[in-house]
Amino acid sequence: MLNKALIEEVLQAALETGGDFSEVFVEDLYSNHMSLRSGRLEQSLSGRDFGVGIRIFKGLQSVYAYTNDFSKEGLLKAARTAAEAIQTATDEKTLILPLVKEKIQTINPIKFMPNTIEKSRKLAVMKQANEIAKNYHEEISQVMIRLLDEEQNVLIANSEGKFVEDQRVRSRLAIAAVATDGNDMQSGFYGPGAHAGFEFIENLDLNHYAKEAARMAVTMLHADPAPSGKFPVIIDNEFGGVIFHEACGHGLEATSVAKNSSVFANKVGKKVASDLVTYIDDGTLANEWGSINIDDEGEKSRKNVLIENGILKGYMIDKLNGRRMNMESTGSSRRESYKFAPTSRMTNTYIAPGKSTPEEIIANTEHGIYAKYMGGGSVNTATGDYNFAVEEAYLVKNGKIDKPLRGATLIGNGATTIQHVDMVANNLGHGAGMCGASSGSLPVNVGQPTLRVSEITVGGREA
Amino acid sequence: MDILKFKEQVFVEGEKLGFSALEVYYEKSDSFSCNIYKGEIDKYESSTVNGVSVRGFYKGKMGYAYTEKLDEESITFLLTNAKENALLIEEEGEKLFTEKATYMEKDFYSPAIEDVTTEEKISFLKEVEKKILAYDKRVVQANHVSLRDEISEKALFHHDGLALQDRNNFLYVMFSVMVKDGEEVKSGFHFKVTKDFHTLNSDELAKETVEKALGFLGGKTYPNKNYPVILKNSAAAQLLATFTSAFSADAVQKGQSRLKDKIGEQIAASCVTLVDNPFLEDGMGSGTFDSEGVPTKKHAIVENGQLKTYFHNLKTAEKDGVQSTGHGYKPSYKGTIGVSPSNFFVEKSDESYESLYSELEEGVIITDLAGLHSGANQFLVIFHLLQKVIL
Repeated sequence: MLNKALIEEVLQAALETGGDFSEVFVEDLYSNHMSLRSGRLEQSLSGRDFGVGIRIFKGLQSVYAYTNDFSKEGLLKAARTAAEAIQTATDEKTLILPLVKEKIQTINPIKFMPNTIEKSRKLAVMKQANEIAKNYHEEISQVMIRLLDEEQNVLIANSEGKFVEDQRVRSRLAIAAVATDGNDMQSGFYGPGAHAGFEFIENLDLNHYAKEAARMAVTMLHADPAPSGKFPVIIDNEFGGVIFHEACGHGLEATSVAKNSSVFANKVGKKVASDLVTYIDDGTLANEWGSINIDDEGEKSRKNVLIENGILKGYMIDKLNGRRMNMESTGSSRRESYKFAPTSRMTNTYIAPGKSTPEEIIANTEHGIYAKYMGGGSVNTATGDYNFAVEEAYLVKNGKIDKPLRGATLIGNGATTIQHVDMVANNLGHGAGMCGASSGSLPVNVGQPTLRVSEITVGGREA
Repeated sequence: MDILKFKEQVFVEGEKLGFSALEVYYEKSDSFSCNIYKGEIDKYESSTVNGVSVRGFYKGKMGYAYTEKLDEESITFLLTNAKENALLIEEEGEKLFTEKATYMEKDFYSPAIEDVTTEEKISFLKEVEKKILAYDKRVVQANHVSLRDEISEKALFHHDGLALQDRNNFLYVMFSVMVKDGEEVKSGFHFKVTKDFHTLNSDELAKETVEKALGFLGGKTYPNKNYPVILKNSAAAQLLATFTSAFSADAVQKGQSRLKDKIGEQIAASCVTLVDNPFLEDGMGSGTFDSEGVPTKKHAIVENGQLKTYFHNLKTAEKDGVQSTGHGYKPSYKGTIGVSPSNFFVEKSDESYESLYSELEEGVIITDLAGLHSGANQFLVIFHLLQKVIL
């Protein structure tokens, strides 16, 4: 993408004002976004993103510049503009080490590169998903299908001699269904994705995913308003993990820990969760949506145990925050594109399976809420306070699922909720999502088995 | 390759490939941003980015593609992909703007932003951070202290000669603070945009930020009941932003808006006038043409409570048999034409906040809203109760 000699020159120029570390990130990304509404291909967009990010450290100070002027002059100018921010009194200059190309181990093999597949083949899968969802029930009034694929080629080099290239290929099919009965409208969504090529899209079990999205919409159309109050809440597996992602995962990223703005700061070795909770971030799960061969600083991805049986074991750490915390990087540094300086982020984060079965959890709940599919939400990372919409909820009465409920929101605090997990099932599953934070929007998996929290405030319409 | 040469080559190659009409849309932005944490530069960023989007008719249908790399290889990539996309697309009615039109002559570039040195910006932020920390003993830390400025240019070219250009720049500062009282921890956030750096006042910024966070401390639960509500301007704007899509003709035509068939009707209290003004001096959305090349205009969308018009682009306007209102926008060169406002706001009245407040016997003042994106039906409201009245 760029030659070694030019990169060496840019890395050295970046250190001219006294920086102690410089890094170059080159990205060349090809993507396709197709969207189908009511059976018609409404949008089909192809693009090429290309640019270079240059980062410089001086102790704990970090500066970043990016440009898509890839001429030698353009790159040196970007490096020198960034270096202006480093003002140091010493004449000592850090010299860059010779770049040595590293070979990486591919843990995410790709069969069919998205750009080698005709778009008409992709459209055929979308139309099939549309038919299944549309035909699920007469109350389905609209179906939207989106297909996204991308091929991201990256080159990462730094003043410590690192020089590594990687290719990330991702594919996702998102199915949204709307059900209407004349007065009211409800929606359902399922969006499976993988770090894989077109083989993932072609092999998807559309009968499952498209039907589930439609079933969710129709079920919610006939649901009663959710009650308000404090209840035991059973959260189902896969995308149910979004609550712990938002309310605990973000608090375990060095980004917030290093600045003490996390409730989990300074608590390694302490009990922070129920004994039943083991929380893991693992970027090495083959072909999973959030997986990476290497992180965006060129470090090998790994499995990081964050909480083990309720005890805080560690954080997700990037190079800069590692300096702040005096800890090693955990291969967790990620960025959306060359436009973002990387920082510690999640990959595939999940609660490890427990010993109960989902059926036992429901049978053991006298009066509670069962959140089958979670929707979006927000969290204040400083405090851990969150609120989430439940896409599909049920009332549980006397150990049995009683009736569907709509309009339920879960309101609570992450650090408290994780202590109140009182049953964990054995059916671990992962769900694909996009996570937005300071280094951009990234593909991540959230995951968990079905589990129960002894008490969460549910906001509903009925008092 | 420079953009003028690049677009010429796109038009030449495109015609050879069989496109009947082509448009090249170009954006370039230079930006600088910096964050301060505990008196040091915590983040410092500078950037130069340009991108080109090509739209064109192939066999009567519109195809799109974009690139950030202006080289020969990208011209082939753009045209072959735009062609493949045009062949598959089943959506019709998208137009290229071919009318002769006059455009407002206005430059939204403010030299007062460029006049400031990087050192001045950095020392100003350090000063605000100091003032935030010194403002109240319950302040734990300033989580976020930042500034960003940006100059952006956009240009639009048609194969038959239309060439438009606009530029805009702005600077904004953003602060967030964490406060603690006993075990209770809250945070507050403040944001300000300007065209003139020298109008920023460090004392006011520190005060606004900290007071907002302090206001969240000591919150209690009050009984569920219907209260009169005052929405502070920033909260009212958040709420307006959440419901803005309802005014889009595209949403109306797709049956996704409650404002369908409501033109001419009273949809709000008569004291409500909603204006979209693309010529606002310090508006981040100001410009003289939209992303379709249609001239922009000031519109009253709701006047004294009455719905006057939706936001239209060329396609939605044709469907409704009206003129485009100049609201055909793409989010960037990466996106496709949609509908969105320029600078959309509630017109102010003569009444002051204090007079609204003093008329309230018992009520709720909303300073901030959370959870708006998890569904407007079910948003959670963070509020202050009017303590002087309740207690």
